[in-house]
Amino acid sequence: MNTNVFLTLLDPVVLFFVLGLTAAFVRSNLEMPAQISKFISLYLLMAIGIKGGVALSVSGIQPQILMGLGIALLMAFLVPAYTYPILRLRTDGYNAAAVAATYGSVSAVTFIAAGQYLDNQGTPYGGYMAVALVVMEAPAVIMAVSLAAITRAKETKINKLSHDPDSSTSKTGHFSIKGVLHESFTDGAIVLLMGSLLIGYIVGTEGYAVMKPFTGDLFKGLLAFFLLEMGMLVGRRVREMRGIDPFFIAFALIIPVLNALVTLALARFSGLPDGDTVMLAVLAASASYIVVPAVVRAAIPEANPGIYFTMALAMTFPFNVIIGIPLYFHFLSIF
Amino acid sequence: MRSLEPKKLLTLITAHAFKAIVIERLKTRGVGGYTLVDATGVGAFGVQSGALDSDSNVLIYVILSESRLNTLLKDFDDLMNRSYRVKVIVTDVMILPRKQPAADKQ
Repeated sequence: MNTNVFLTLLDPVVLFFVLGLTAAFVRSNLEMPAQISKFISLYLLMAIGIKGGVALSVSGIQPQILMGLGIALLMAFLVPAYTYPILRLRTDGYNAAAVAATYGSVSAVTFIAAGQYLDNQGTPYGGYMAVALVVMEAPAVIMAVSLAAITRAKETKINKLSHDPDSSTSKTGHFSIKGVLHESFTDGAIVLLMGSLLIGYIVGTEGYAVMKPFTGDLFKGLLAFFLLEMGMLVGRRVREMRGIDPFFIAFALIIPVLNALVTLALARFSGLPDGDTVMLAVLAASASYIVVPAVVRAAIPEANPGIYFTMALAMTFPFNVIIGIPLYFHFLSIF
Repeated sequence: MRSLEPKKLLTLITAHAFKAIVIERLKTRGVGGYTLVDATGVGAFGVQSGALDSDSNVLIYVILSESRLNTLLKDFDDLMNRSYRVKVIVTDVMILPRKQPAADKQ
């Protein structure tokens, strides 16, 4: 097992991410058309979905898979449950709920980068991890929307008592849990990922051979290209971070490590193999900056995206890609 | 030749995440058509790059009568009271109507 944490920096994927960061910091006019980055993000989801489905068709549905998915689901509820009270020490109920949802959910790109890292280390992981990614998407948002609804109900009660008993602008009637579930599970990224997983499972290794030139051989190059764009996005966000409370910066860098440690302990205790353990830790350590911020923005409009989106994209994502993934891999030797 | 007809141009700038909510309001109030454009720019929450759904804006144009506009403005006021961020811009415009008045057809 190669545990040299700094070897990861020599991976072209990470180097292109750093190049994107640098381009943004030096205010280069390097730009990728938005439609191309959207295309590549869909391609990556399709590729990991089909790869996961094929792996599942080979391994079959084992009891170990249920154990792994159980840990994924548990962490999806546990992370917002213990981060919300921490966040409430410093911010209001809406922002605390939004940040808790962002950190309870997952980042598909971090997951893909971790898969690439494990491939480089020669450590295999289960194809069902793509299912774990989907399983971990919604629970945190549901919890956050419920917590925000409680805050909203309290505020409405106070407002009614103190000033405006006949107010027609009730602060209720936002997104329902059903609405959130619908938004989460019909999101294009989730539909494509689950659909590709199912297709991979149906076609198996023979069908995958036909797809491999597209979904396999081009994967690393397109991932590097996508991470170049992500680096530029992160760099631009970092430049705008002035004025953000240092508490949120500390949260964005410490909580992922805590989440990873809790998950590593659970996965090790359950006897999961190394690859699955690291992937689950990376999923728990990641924060969503695409699906969840979009859902939360509509469901908890009172929360400030300048906090939860910036934390996930500009702090936790680069931390995980550059330091977190190899660090969680390194933690295997401790557990 | 058709005569120019006075109308209102409603321009809405909002987050991609609010698109469905805003369009639902338009449909509920009987707006039959609108034009939607993906938009990028900088706002209160920083750069909206357009690369991710979570940092994209949309620009929605609607041409409508004053009476329908007034109903919609109340809806958007309600949304804004509930912390939804929508920029609402109203402009007086003149349009060539699609349907020709019966008297002009002869």
